[in-house]
Amino acid sequence: MSYPSEDTLRRVIAFVAALGVSIATYIAIVESGGGSPVCLAGGTGCHTVAESSYSHVAGVNIAIFGVIGYLLLLATAFFANDAARFGGFLVSLGGFGYSIFLTYIEVFKIEAICQWCVASAVLMTILFLLSATRLIAYGGNELQEAR
Amino acid sequence: MSEGDRRTKMMQLASGAAFLAIVVVVVLIVVNSSSSDSGGDADNLEGAAEVSQSLNGIPQDEMVLGNPRAAVELVEFGDLQCPVCKGFAEEILPPIIENQVRNGEVKIDFRNFTIIGPQSLDAGAAALAAGAQGRGWNFVELFYRNQGGENAGYADDAFLEAVAEGAGVENLAKWNKDRELLRPEVEETSQEAQQLGFGGTPSFAIEGPGTKGLETLGTPSSTEAFEEAIEGAG
Repeated sequence: MSYPSEDTLRRVIAFVAALGVSIATYIAIVESGGGSPVCLAGGTGCHTVAESSYSHVAGVNIAIFGVIGYLLLLATAFFANDAARFGGFLVSLGGFGYSIFLTYIEVFKIEAICQWCVASAVLMTILFLLSATRLIAYGGNELQEAR
Repeated sequence: MSEGDRRTKMMQLASGAAFLAIVVVVVLIVVNSSSSDSGGDADNLEGAAEVSQSLNGIPQDEMVLGNPRAAVELVEFGDLQCPVCKGFAEEILPPIIENQVRNGEVKIDFRNFTIIGPQSLDAGAAALAAGAQGRGWNFVELFYRNQGGENAGYADDAFLEAVAEGAGVENLAKWNKDRELLRPEVEETSQEAQQLGFGGTPSFAIEGPGTKGLETLGTPSSTEAFEEAIEGAG
């Protein structure tokens, strides 16, 4: 099976992670001021989700964890070694798993959808797929230059 | 370690991590779907006596708590289903009520800003109807103390009636009639909150001799921040 070159994967990961940093930072800044993200098509889904008890873990807004996760993924795109490949896989796996949980909570518990959260979940899913592909295709190639 | 061994080891670790992640997500979802949220139990309301005691002797007129002639008015835009509002009611506002409101310096006006779901409107109207009998703040405070999960469906007629009774609403027939009539007012104050630029609950505004009309405060994060705002407005 042929995979994209690792350089290509790293570039796409960097781009998607940068988008993720932007979205998570927007949510974190807006919510730190006591507000909530603006739903693009109107509606109150974003208000509802932001007000939910699930929007904080141990008193910390989960968007902060999002910013940290995306920054870590962005960092992994700058290195072509096994630590970056495996680290990127682990961080994106955690982010992907948590996104599944949060989407479940939005749909079945809070009963409201926030487009920004959905966008972040989609980005995290893409990052997980890219990071998994990178690990499968190039993991263990520490001793030779991966291309 | 050879490259092949390295790779095999890495794939084993990755598979283990993926398996662990699946287990954790499944457990989180199962725990959350089976957990019944505490609160929201019409048959076992808690805190009625404490609420009554904390508000005892403070004047109430509709949804305004405190001396009607108080120089400073603090306006709270809240949603009865909102857990953050519950936190404010239980942890941040009590010292303000016990001191600045009780001594006549400040009055607090609770206005509905319904953002959580349909039952927020039902609950908000029920609070206004309790306010029509001078028990609005008892209703709000007692509701918060017994709040269930967001949109968990607990805020039905039976729960609202239990809260009204616990809050000391005497004429339940009138309360029942009023809560239907007062629904538009809930929508009006929600629109007012949006016009003021608020995006979440609770949000606060303040008016007094030191302000230019009603000034927005957003969501002050501590009792001290409220005290400062009150001092500035007085």
